Amino acid sequence: MLLWRQFVMEWKLYLRDRGATFWTFAFPVILLLGFGFMFREGAGPMTTLVWVTEGGGHAEDAALTKALTHVKILKLDSVEAQHRWAKGETAAQLESSAQGHRLRVNSYLMAQGQTAAQMVQQANLVVQAQAKGLQPEVIPISVESPGGRRNAGYGAFLLPGLLGVNLLSIGLFGVGMVNVAYREKGKFRRLGVTPLPKWIFLLGQILQRLTVSLAQASFMVLVARLALNIRNQGSYPEFFLAILMGTAAFMAMGFALSTFTKTLEGYSALSNVVFLPLMILSGVYFTLDAAPLWIQKVLLALPLAPYVKALRGIFNDGAHLWNHAAGLALVMAWGLVCFFIAVKRFRWN
Amino acid sequence: MTGYALKVRGLRKQYPKVLAVDGVDMEVRCGEVFGLLGPNGAGKTTTLEIIEGLTEPDAGEIEILGFDLRTQGREIRSRIGVQLQSTSLFNKITPREALELYGGYYPKRRSAQELLERVQLIDKADAYHTTLSGGQQQRLALALALVNDPELVFLDEPTTGLDPQARRSLWDIVRSMKQEGRTVILTTHYMDEAEALCDRLAIMDHGRILTTGTPSELIAQMGLPSVVELFFEGAAPDAAAFTAQSGLAVDRRGDRWELAVTDPKTTLPSILDSAEACRVPFEQIHMRRATLEDVFLHRTGRSLRE
Repeated sequence: MLLWRQFVMEWKLYLRDRGATFWTFAFPVILLLGFGFMFREGAGPMTTLVWVTEGGGHAEDAALTKALTHVKILKLDSVEAQHRWAKGETAAQLESSAQGHRLRVNSYLMAQGQTAAQMVQQANLVVQAQAKGLQPEVIPISVESPGGRRNAGYGAFLLPGLLGVNLLSIGLFGVGMVNVAYREKGKFRRLGVTPLPKWIFLLGQILQRLTVSLAQASFMVLVARLALNIRNQGSYPEFFLAILMGTAAFMAMGFALSTFTKTLEGYSALSNVVFLPLMILSGVYFTLDAAPLWIQKVLLALPLAPYVKALRGIFNDGAHLWNHAAGLALVMAWGLVCFFIAVKRFRWN
Repeated sequence: MTGYALKVRGLRKQYPKVLAVDGVDMEVRCGEVFGLLGPNGAGKTTTLEIIEGLTEPDAGEIEILGFDLRTQGREIRSRIGVQLQSTSLFNKITPREALELYGGYYPKRRSAQELLERVQLIDKADAYHTTLSGGQQQRLALALALVNDPELVFLDEPTTGLDPQARRSLWDIVRSMKQEGRTVILTTHYMDEAEALCDRLAIMDHGRILTTGTPSELIAQMGLPSVVELFFEGAAPDAAAFTAQSGLAVDRRGDRWELAVTDPKTTLPSILDSAEACRVPFEQIHMRRATLEDVFLHRTGRSLRE
């Protein structure tokens, strides 16, 4: 009864705190929708290739044009092309004349420029082969996930990552920072002179945060389904169980971290030192595949990266919890270590 | 209930840099308003926090309402009401909700409505805590201290930082607590507050209780019931010659001399004679009854506000 009352009061106070509700509910959804729409499959602009022909161009230009796919061709005269290039808007430029072809790639737009250049190279090889009477075959590519099922699109990639970051922020800010503030401002002292057992207060807080994270995850999944047609490829019980496990582990982190500083200022600095690198480097917004192997290993030993990986496996690939047992065990081990640190070091005043 | 609401023996608390409480003994009778008077840093708050169970003492025995603090903390906590120096509540809680929430922690509770009326917060009953003025927050803190209908109430500097009107209204609430038969223990560094509210007082400095008694006893104990003050334009001059002439001790304080005297009727003429003889250039002379401030000054050599 006492516990229920604490729990209800925590929810009331939480809902009145517009900042907290914005950051946990609205902000991740805005990110998801924003990036989801921007980078949805087929939505992005096709890479533009500027094509300049001099003196009637090359003999095989017509064949090359036909062979070039997946690239938007913009034909310009050399003056216009030079103007566009100078403004830095051109990623790749193809120049054809009677003598042959030349490709320029903008060093600042390597990602698009390099891709366009590769397309041109490939088309050119096809044209040359055809000129020799050959019919070259391109090897077909199919994109699949390790689990066999797949959620397409960047929105689907992002969703589990954002959920992971959100749990981390509930832990570090919703629990850790809140308790540092309570201690610093004497709320714990006021409770200390009442007969309320303090564990009831903390348990009420913990249960409220667990329900916040479940509500928030459900909300995100619902919005993703309705707005971006992203579906959970795995089972919902396993997905929500993973959410609860993450919430518990990251709350323990928040509690542990809150024992290392007495002031709110100290805690802000400390928590951001933990939060920002984890958020940026845990494969939330982009994959870590391009990073050196040792960095990937280090990051996968920290709690957020394996957690996001597991959540992504369940939600996007239809994997089971036990397919990610090692990663989840690591996350829970972090949670347990933090829990013991918190229990050992936690002070009410 | 008769007897003692609080008995404290041999209380000590050492902090890394200061000995905050240095052997405090104290007894408070049921139904009285007891004041701990002393300057900032005297150890009043630490003493109170130890008694409230918030701070562990290094040594000492504490009996509250007949219960031992070490073994029966929970019984004690459900029978006492506490207003801490800075009462911190959740920002977005309303007075009514706070009273209901905290009331729920106790086996015995008073209705929120009644308490809100009592501290005149009905108008603000459903406003967020952050929107209350300093005086209103302090009154809410008092209401919270009364939420369990306590036998013993602790008030730590209840009027610090309040304007005179808000102080008066708080004093009225404290007086009504006494009328309801509650024991009140309060700390203050305002001597007028101590004189106005307290049945008995303990004067504290450097972690020790210097003296205990009713306000009039304390003044009488000093043996110097009157103070003669000589005011100067600018800083008060050296008084060595005057003291040699008159045989009276002078306390130089800023723009005045203060002379504590037992019998002003006979002493006053000799003060005037000596001042004349030594050509003391005073502007005004003023005589008043000694106050608790003088008691404190007399005991410690410094003023309460220093």
